[in-house]
Amino acid sequence: MTRLLYVQGVPIWRNVVALRWAVQVVSAVVVLSTIALFLLNVAREIEARDIPFGFTFLDRAAQIPIGEAVIPYQPSDSYLYGLVVAGLNTIRASVLGVILATAIGILVGVARLSPNWLLSRMALIYIEVFRNIPLIVQLLFWLTIVLTLPRVAEGYVIAETVFINNSGLYLPWFEAKDGFWPWALITAIGLALAVYAFRRLNRRETETGQQSYPLLAAAVIAIGLSLVALLILGPLAIDIPQVEGRFGRLQGGAQLSGSFMALLVGLVVYTSAFIAEIVRAGIQSVGKGQTEAARSVGLSGMLTLRHVTFPQALRVIIPPLISQFLNLTKNSSLAAAIGYPDLVSVANTMTQIAPAISLFMIVMVSYLSMSLLYSLIGNLYNRTIRFKGA
Amino acid sequence: MTARAAPAPLPPATTVGVLGWLRKNLFSSRGNGVVTVLLAVLLAWVAVNLGIWVLVEADWTVIISRAPLYIVGLYPYEGYWRLCICLLLISVLLGMSWRAWPKAARRFAFGFGAVMLFVGVFPHEMAPDHRALLLLNLPFIGLGYVLTPRPAEAHPGRLEAMAGGAIATALGRVAIFSTPRRMVIAAFGALVLIMILILGIAGVPGLDPVNPQDLGGLMINLLLAFFGIVCSLPIGIGLALGRRSSLPILKVACVIFIEVIRGVPLITLLFMSRHILPLTFPEDLNIDRVYLAGITITIFSSAYMAENVRGGMAAVLRGQTEAAHALGLRGWQTTLLITLPQGLRNIIPAIVGQFISLFKDTSLVYFIGMLDLVEMGRVSVQGNQEFIDNGREVYLFIALVFWVFCFSMSFISRRIEGALGVGRR
Repeated sequence: MTRLLYVQGVPIWRNVVALRWAVQVVSAVVVLSTIALFLLNVAREIEARDIPFGFTFLDRAAQIPIGEAVIPYQPSDSYLYGLVVAGLNTIRASVLGVILATAIGILVGVARLSPNWLLSRMALIYIEVFRNIPLIVQLLFWLTIVLTLPRVAEGYVIAETVFINNSGLYLPWFEAKDGFWPWALITAIGLALAVYAFRRLNRRETETGQQSYPLLAAAVIAIGLSLVALLILGPLAIDIPQVEGRFGRLQGGAQLSGSFMALLVGLVVYTSAFIAEIVRAGIQSVGKGQTEAARSVGLSGMLTLRHVTFPQALRVIIPPLISQFLNLTKNSSLAAAIGYPDLVSVANTMTQIAPAISLFMIVMVSYLSMSLLYSLIGNLYNRTIRFKGA
Repeated sequence: MTARAAPAPLPPATTVGVLGWLRKNLFSSRGNGVVTVLLAVLLAWVAVNLGIWVLVEADWTVIISRAPLYIVGLYPYEGYWRLCICLLLISVLLGMSWRAWPKAARRFAFGFGAVMLFVGVFPHEMAPDHRALLLLNLPFIGLGYVLTPRPAEAHPGRLEAMAGGAIATALGRVAIFSTPRRMVIAAFGALVLIMILILGIAGVPGLDPVNPQDLGGLMINLLLAFFGIVCSLPIGIGLALGRRSSLPILKVACVIFIEVIRGVPLITLLFMSRHILPLTFPEDLNIDRVYLAGITITIFSSAYMAENVRGGMAAVLRGQTEAAHALGLRGWQTTLLITLPQGLRNIIPAIVGQFISLFKDTSLVYFIGMLDLVEMGRVSVQGNQEFIDNGREVYLFIALVFWVFCFSMSFISRRIEGALGVGRR
C-alpha cells in the first residue's frame, strides 16, 4: 500500500513537484476560503439585519437636487442618471485641475532651478508650504475666502465681462452655432496633421541635423486650419454674462460656482506643489555631462533643451506625474466637504433614501475605472519610451 | 636685501562679499534684475499685509478661548495630567534620540522643547499644575540625553540601531539605545504606557477609563497616523511578500487588494467601513468609530506600505540573492534573512513620507463623525454664531499646526536619507 506513495523510489512528501503543488493548493484553499468566509458573513448579516441592498433603485427617480451639472438634470431623473451627472462633475474638476496643476507645477519647478536666488527661494516656499498642509484645510480656507467676497450686486466686475462675487466666477464663453460640428471636425483633422508633421520634421532634424522647425510648422498647421475654418463657417458666438432683473442676477456665459472655484484652486495649488518637485527632480536627473556634450558638438541652447535635456527629463517626469494626476482625481472627492456636487458628495446625499452599500460600491468601481485608465496611459507611455535597439 | 613682493591686488569689490553675492544671484543680467525687483516688491507687499492682518485685524479669541478643544478634543479635563505625563515620556525618548543620533534628532528635540516652553509660558487660561508639567518637559529632554550612553564610533549594531532609530526618531516616540533589542523594548514600553495613560483602565484610581469618542483634536490625528503606520508595516510586508510569491492565487489576491485600495479615495473606504465593518463583528458589540477609523486607516496605509516594501526589496542588488543561494540558503531563508531586511532599510525615508501623507489624510475622519483637528475647527466656525466670521483665523491656525509637523518630519526624513546613504549603495 505504501508503495503507491513512492514515485521512482522517492517518497511523495519529498517530491519537489508534488510539494510545490501541495503548497499551491493549500494556499489557494486558504486564500479563497478566507475571502468567501468574509463575503458570506457580510451577506448573511446584510440579510439578518435587514440592511437595504441591491441595484433595483437605480432607475427610480432620485428626487434630490444637484447644484450644478454639465448636462441638464432635474430631480425627477433616475438615480443612475444622477450618478452620471455627479461623475461628470468629478471629471470636470479633475480635467481642469490636471491641466492647470501641470502648467503651474512646471512653472514653479523651473523657477525652483532658476539662477535667480529670490525666485528659486520663493518657488521653494510655495512648494514647502502647500504640500505640507492637508488638502481639506486648504479647501475650507479657500471656501472661506470665496464666501467673504462681496455679494452679487456689489461684486467685482472686470471690463464689463468677467464677474467675481460670492456666488462664483462668471466668464464670457463660446456658444455653438450651426457650423460647429464641421468646424470641430476640421480642427481635429488639423491637429492630427500637425502631430504627423511634428513627428516627421522632428525625426528629420534628429537624423540629418537640418533645422526643420517642427514645433513652428505644427502650430501653423493646427491653428491656421482651425482659424480659416472659423472665419468661413462662423460656428461660434461669444456669450457674455449679463446683469438681469432687479436683484442683479447674472445670466449667460460660463458660470463657475464658489465651491467649484474653491475646489479647483485647492486641488491645483496642492497638486502643483508636488508636480513642481517632480519636474525639478526630472530636470536635475539629466547629468550635466549631457548638456555639456550637446553644447560641445555644436547644438545651440534651445536645441540642447529640446533634443537632449527635455526627452531625458521626460522619462523621469512622466510616470510620477501620472500618479499625481490620479491623486488629484481621487482628491477631488474632498469636494464633499465644501458642497461641490461630485460623485462622493451626491452618492452620500442619496444614501438617505437609497441603499448605502450598493451606492458606494458603484462609486468605488467608478474611481477604480478612472485609476485603471490612468495606469493604462502610464503603461502605454512606458512602452513608447522604452529604449529601442541595442 | 630682498625686495618684498607687492601684495596681490584685491579682487574688485563687486565680485566678493555681499555685493558680489547680490550681483551673482540676483542681478546677473538685466532680465534677472527686473525679476528680482518685481518679486521683492510682491514679497514686501504680501509680508506687510499679512503682518497687519495677523497682528491687528485678525481676532484670535476663537483659537485662544478654545485651545484645548483643538489639541485634545473633548478629552475630560480631569485627565489632562495623564496627557502631560505622556508628553514627558516623549520628551525622555527625544532626549535619548538626541544623544544617540545628534544630527537629526537635535533640532527635533529643540523644537519640541521650544513648543512646550511657549505653551507653558504663554499667557492664557491654564491651570498652574499643567503649566508646571509642560515646563518639566525641558529637564526631561535633558534627562533622556544624560541617561543614554554615547554611541560608540564603530558599534557593531550601529547600522541596525540607526535604521530602527530613524523610524523612531522621526515619529518622536522611541529612543535609540546602544543595541536594537533594548531600543525596541523601550519603544514598546513607552507605547503601551502612553496608550494606558490616554485610555485609562477601569478600576484603577486616577486612571478612569475615557470614552474613546471623546478623543479628538490634534491628538487623534497623531494617534491614528502613528498606529496606522505601525500596524500597516507588518501587513504591508505580508502583502508585498504575497505579491512577490510564486503562488498564483495568493499573488492575485494580494495584487487585487493593493490595487483596489490604492485606486479609490480614502473617503469612500471610510464610508464603506462605517457600513460594512460593523457587520463583521457580533451585533451586540457596538464598536466605537475611533476603532473603525483606525482599522480603515491601517488597511488603507498597508496597501501603500506594501508597494513601498516591494520597491525597497526590488532595489536590493541581485548579487545579494545569488550569494545567499550560493551559501545554501533556501528561498524563504533568502527572502527573510537577506532581501527583506535590506529592503526595509531602503524604505525608511519612504515610511516617513508615508507617515506625513497619512497624517494629512487622517483629517478625513470627519466623514465618519469624529472630531479631529480640522473638524473641530469647522465646528468652531460654523457652529458658533460669534465666530462665524473667523474662518480665516481658524483654518490658518490649523494649517500652521499641520505644516509644522509635516515640514519638520520631511526635514528629518531628508537627514535620514543622507545618513543611510540611500541611493548611494
